[in-house]
Amino acid sequence: MQKKIKLKVNGVWKYGWAQAGQSLLDFLRKDLFCTEVKHGCGRGDCGACTIIMDGKAVNSCLVLALQAEDTTILTSKGLGTKENLHPLQRAFIKKGAIQCGFCTPGMILAAKALLDKNKNPSREEIQRGLSGNLCRCTGYKKIVDAVESAAQEMTESSRNSNNIEEAGI
Amino acid sequence: MEIRNHLFPLSIKEAIEMLKNEGNRAQLIAGGTDLIPAIRDRSNKCEVLVDMSKIPELDKIELLNSTIQLGPRVTMDQTENSELIRKEATALAEGSSLVGGPQIRNRATIAGNIVSAQPAADAALSLFCLNAQLKIFGVRGERIIKIEEAYLDVGKSTIDPTSEMVISIFFKKQGDEEISVFKRMAKRNALALPVLNCAVWIRKKEDKFSEVRIALGPVAPIPIRIKRAEESLKGEKISLKNIEIAAEIAAESASPRNSQFRGSGAYRKEMVKVIVIDAFKTALYRLNVEDF
Repeated sequence: MQKKIKLKVNGVWKYGWAQAGQSLLDFLRKDLFCTEVKHGCGRGDCGACTIIMDGKAVNSCLVLALQAEDTTILTSKGLGTKENLHPLQRAFIKKGAIQCGFCTPGMILAAKALLDKNKNPSREEIQRGLSGNLCRCTGYKKIVDAVESAAQEMTESSRNSNNIEEAGI
Repeated sequence: MEIRNHLFPLSIKEAIEMLKNEGNRAQLIAGGTDLIPAIRDRSNKCEVLVDMSKIPELDKIELLNSTIQLGPRVTMDQTENSELIRKEATALAEGSSLVGGPQIRNRATIAGNIVSAQPAADAALSLFCLNAQLKIFGVRGERIIKIEEAYLDVGKSTIDPTSEMVISIFFKKQGDEEISVFKRMAKRNALALPVLNCAVWIRKKEDKFSEVRIALGPVAPIPIRIKRAEESLKGEKISLKNIEIAAEIAAESASPRNSQFRGSGAYRKEMVKVIVIDAFKTALYRLNVEDF
């Protein structure tokens, strides 16, 4: 059985034929060419395939494509552009939180989901927020540093924009 | 055999009809975090998925009088973060917070944790100390069972996902002198199999234990209540000595296997004492009992 489904990926409605039993990970990569979503363990242990679906971080290998019908999905490509990076992307580069880069898309989305819920997390909360993602290169310290620094930057910039609004500029 | 159909019923009744029509070839899917890998590695042979995700109202956590009721699609993330569960069913909030990682907890359900019937399941174990009951609806009608009755063997539940659905999980909220706690030993904090886990519920009356429940996993093919240790504390004075006696009984009653992943049986049996005592200390601390 296959069915044509639509889902909103990074702000754009996409259509594709999803097979019964096909994982959302496979559908995103092979049918919608979202190869920024990485295929790691395929069983929910590594977090490389993390996406944000309807506001929640999920392992796309543990969601079936047909379950994603009419959902809104964010992948790392939807976060920022090369010219205009998201603060998390900028912080990962600045802090050297990337080595081989395979875990990075999932790691950044897990961090995004955390910051959406908790704008000012402690280091411990960051570690917990990223506990579903494995990185075999960095030893995690720089990743936690990057998330901490992005959170600070995001809080400051939202404070500045509030000030501008209050000043009526 | 691969999955040949994936159905989305809009009501519980329709879901059961669909299961009935497909015989035992169809299976219910809730969070899918256990089922999807099992289908992929062919250890589960189902051909048709009956998906609960479009049935409304199944993801509610409700308090009716003094009973807390969870719908079958309530996720670990919900029970971990619900104010009501944290305050009134503390062990469940703690147990769910330790399952997998955040991505898993956003999908995995409490009901699924029970039906998967793993002796080490963190969320399900806490339901043992809360004396939870389950309402089940299926091809053969409706029934209510105690959580203990949901388990047959490792990975085998008495609840058959090819013909019936857990429609509600319910238990009493913690009263004034009552508290529950969940403890776990594992190699890592996240995405790790527990070496041991323990859930304890206490009701105290003045300086005595009025009633206690002690649940342990994975020390047998199914999660177990240590009733003999519970009895030993009933009506007894709250003291470290009495807790140590109960912990000793718990270790005697436990029969953990040697496991490549969890550690040797002898080590884990010894550790049962430690985890039980630790659980009681935390529980009593939460009840503001300090000198014992």
